[in-house]
Amino acid sequence: MTSVPTDRRSTASDEMPTYDPDGFWDEMFAGPGEVRLHYAELARELATLGPADVARRQLAADHSFQARGITFAVNQGVEGIEKIMPFDLVPRMITPTEWQQIERGLEQRVRALNLFLHDLYHDQKILEDGVVPHELVLGAKGYRREFRGVDVPLGVYTHVVGSDLVRDATGAFYILEDNLRTPSGVSYLVENRRVMKRTWPQIFASYDVRPVEQYPQDLLELLLAIAPPIADEPNVVVLSPGVYNSAYYEHVFLAKAMGVELVRGSDLFVDDATVYMRTTRGRRRVDVIYRRVDDDYLDPLTFRQDSLLGVAGLVATYRLGRVSLANAIGTGVADDKAIYAYVPRIITYYLNEEPIIPNVQTFLASEPSDLKYIVENLDKLVVKSVDESGGYGMLIGPHSTAAEQEEFRQRILENPRSYIAQPTLALSRHPCWVDDHFEGRHVDLRPFVLFGRDVKVTPGGLTRVALRRGSLVVNSSQGGGGKDTWVLGSLPVARGEPATPDAPDPAAIAPALPASDTAHAAPLGDDA
Amino acid sequence: MLCRVADDIFWMSRYVERGIAVGRLIDVVWHFELDAGDQEAGSDFWAPLLGTSRLAAETHGQPSASQVRHFLTFDQQNPSSLVNCIRKARAAAQGVRESISSEMWEQLNTVYLRLTTTGPSPSPVAEDDPQAFYQPIRNGMQFVQGLADSTLLRDEPWLFFCLGRSLERADTLSRILTLQAPLLQAAGSAGQDDVVRWLAVLRSCGAAEAYSHYYSLLIEPARVIEFLLLNPLFPQSIRFCLETAMNALEAIAGPVMLAGPTSGKGDLAVRALGLLEARLRHTAVDEVLEEGLESFLGDVQHRVQVVSEHVTAGYLRDEPQPGRLVAVARAAMIMATQQQQQRRWA
Repeated sequence: MTSVPTDRRSTASDEMPTYDPDGFWDEMFAGPGEVRLHYAELARELATLGPADVARRQLAADHSFQARGITFAVNQGVEGIEKIMPFDLVPRMITPTEWQQIERGLEQRVRALNLFLHDLYHDQKILEDGVVPHELVLGAKGYRREFRGVDVPLGVYTHVVGSDLVRDATGAFYILEDNLRTPSGVSYLVENRRVMKRTWPQIFASYDVRPVEQYPQDLLELLLAIAPPIADEPNVVVLSPGVYNSAYYEHVFLAKAMGVELVRGSDLFVDDATVYMRTTRGRRRVDVIYRRVDDDYLDPLTFRQDSLLGVAGLVATYRLGRVSLANAIGTGVADDKAIYAYVPRIITYYLNEEPIIPNVQTFLASEPSDLKYIVENLDKLVVKSVDESGGYGMLIGPHSTAAEQEEFRQRILENPRSYIAQPTLALSRHPCWVDDHFEGRHVDLRPFVLFGRDVKVTPGGLTRVALRRGSLVVNSSQGGGGKDTWVLGSLPVARGEPATPDAPDPAAIAPALPASDTAHAAPLGDDA
Repeated sequence: MLCRVADDIFWMSRYVERGIAVGRLIDVVWHFELDAGDQEAGSDFWAPLLGTSRLAAETHGQPSASQVRHFLTFDQQNPSSLVNCIRKARAAAQGVRESISSEMWEQLNTVYLRLTTTGPSPSPVAEDDPQAFYQPIRNGMQFVQGLADSTLLRDEPWLFFCLGRSLERADTLSRILTLQAPLLQAAGSAGQDDVVRWLAVLRSCGAAEAYSHYYSLLIEPARVIEFLLLNPLFPQSIRFCLETAMNALEAIAGPVMLAGPTSGKGDLAVRALGLLEARLRHTAVDEVLEEGLESFLGDVQHRVQVVSEHVTAGYLRDEPQPGRLVAVARAAMIMATQQQQQRRWA
């Protein structure tokens, strides 16, 4: 991966006199004081602001999230605890070239994974051909044998995908995991942009940022496209587990933006192989359900009998093709963390192409040779449980104690199928506003892919930030925050460049900087 | 619209209106204390508000004004305390955020956050400067109603919001008047003290200014009662509220009405409300006084309750799911599984 050109003539922003990438790939800085070219305008803007102004805007942004109730409920906590996802004011930028790779790579991956799912639920050729081991698929928690032979509209299983990308120390992108069931976070993608425009409108003028607001319309179009043929005016609903679900805000956001009903399981019932919702004017047929309820809870007749979130008879109705679900049932087998290791081979098998975005190297505890390596190198690896998400059930080797490593060693040996391990990545970092200054924090990127009649990757993504210094865990349930993420339509045209590269003109870089603050101005490369 | 959503909007609206009424009451009594000049008179006025409540029992019917204020504002066990009204309104709104406007939700959430981050417990702010404490909360709640007026589509969510607000307003007003009925009923010569009390009653219904516009400021008990119960123009009068509720309910019932009197459960609500509204529309104040104010108001409250129950049964509760449907679903499942097996062996 070629690195982005840097703006060596610019000084470091005066807001960041001591900022040092510390050897990590920093999204904004190529080295101490070396701002990457596409961030140069932003650095200038920041220099004109001054810390008090940055702090004020940061506070305004926080208030905006709180008042709008853009909150998530914390899992495993007391009912009704609502938190805002911490928002960092400095946008993360992605160049057109970088985005092109991401977009093509995600489309390739999503198409291959859907062919894989179709195959698994029909002929299982890939298993016959020995590319993916039988037992890995059939033993996966997400595999729904009941759905073998069922056809889904347009042959698409994963209508909404949120894959997590990371960059390593060289700046290369990797896919860290695929989320093919009910990925969340897209509301933050849209809301972060809205709050950003509200609190720091000026910065948008210098950049060609691709818009993200169209996401709900794209989603609605997709949902209408998968309606059963019997529905002439399809009725689309969003199915939510309710206000205590951690992503409830997002369910509200999507239902509202699409102009469809937000329903819970108790609002629906099945009669005569048709799904209805209970309305003030009697029953009304439902044709498409964008469900944010896991497979296990969808239908107490088929899956968990203790589920109060689902609808009795929904699965049978779905099988008969009289209601459509997005995403389809049984997609969890393809985002299983053990299957993940095989995705590059899956891409090559179905598409006869090389993966455009590589996987992170993955060791499977179910493979004897890998298992040996894992238990001997727990201090260097990140170990993940294949059945859990949200940053739970994880061991980060270099940050763990000997006792924790021993505990995981036992758990892995007892149940190898349940664990994978990956080398600890030096995730890329991005400057974040911490208390009263900027510090580097590790980030990832979750773009969203819609797959209906064609594949659409929303030009943006949720950049999640590990807000604790040095932490590699970005999940919002584990104290992660977010950033607005800008996919640039074109690179900014540099302006205000000094005449001679070796003699930067501070006045041109920080025209509005108060005189008293110029004392902090650090000459180029002072910290190197 | 979904029954659950209609239910939540109906109750959100009722709690918002109730919160406004409680806030106004606290404000009025605080003014009354100042006017009356001594704490005794103040707690006299407060006493009926507590009725048979826990606070009345704990303080042997002699609570201080500040105790009462705290009870009405922050008490967790008092279901109609200001805090509880706002909390319940906000909880209902949270479940139906997609059906109300973002502006309404943000406003209600802001009021909630303001109150819950100031309180709970005897808030020094609330005691030192009640005006500064209560005014923004009441304004904030009224702002929610204003936003509903100006941002909601005139379809079902709006109609249920209107219905809830109007029924609650009629109900609250009749309760406030019931508490003061002995005073109002003892008509005739008005001493100076009584005028102050009647003014306080008018204020507690938000009616003092409108009353003086309508009659000029001549305080006569019968006029006060007429104005609060039967006036066709004053938007807080019981008659006006019931007319508004009736308009909303007829719009909700819609074509059901045309199909005949026994067509739906919701029809019972229309009939009950129609009868009550007609009674208020065609009764003269003399007849009310003849019947007795307390008994008349008691009848109004009872009938509003009945309407509310019919609305609940007719629109806010879903059709029960017969066990048969489960059996049908199960059969479909078995059928599908068999088909799949046949395909597999074929």
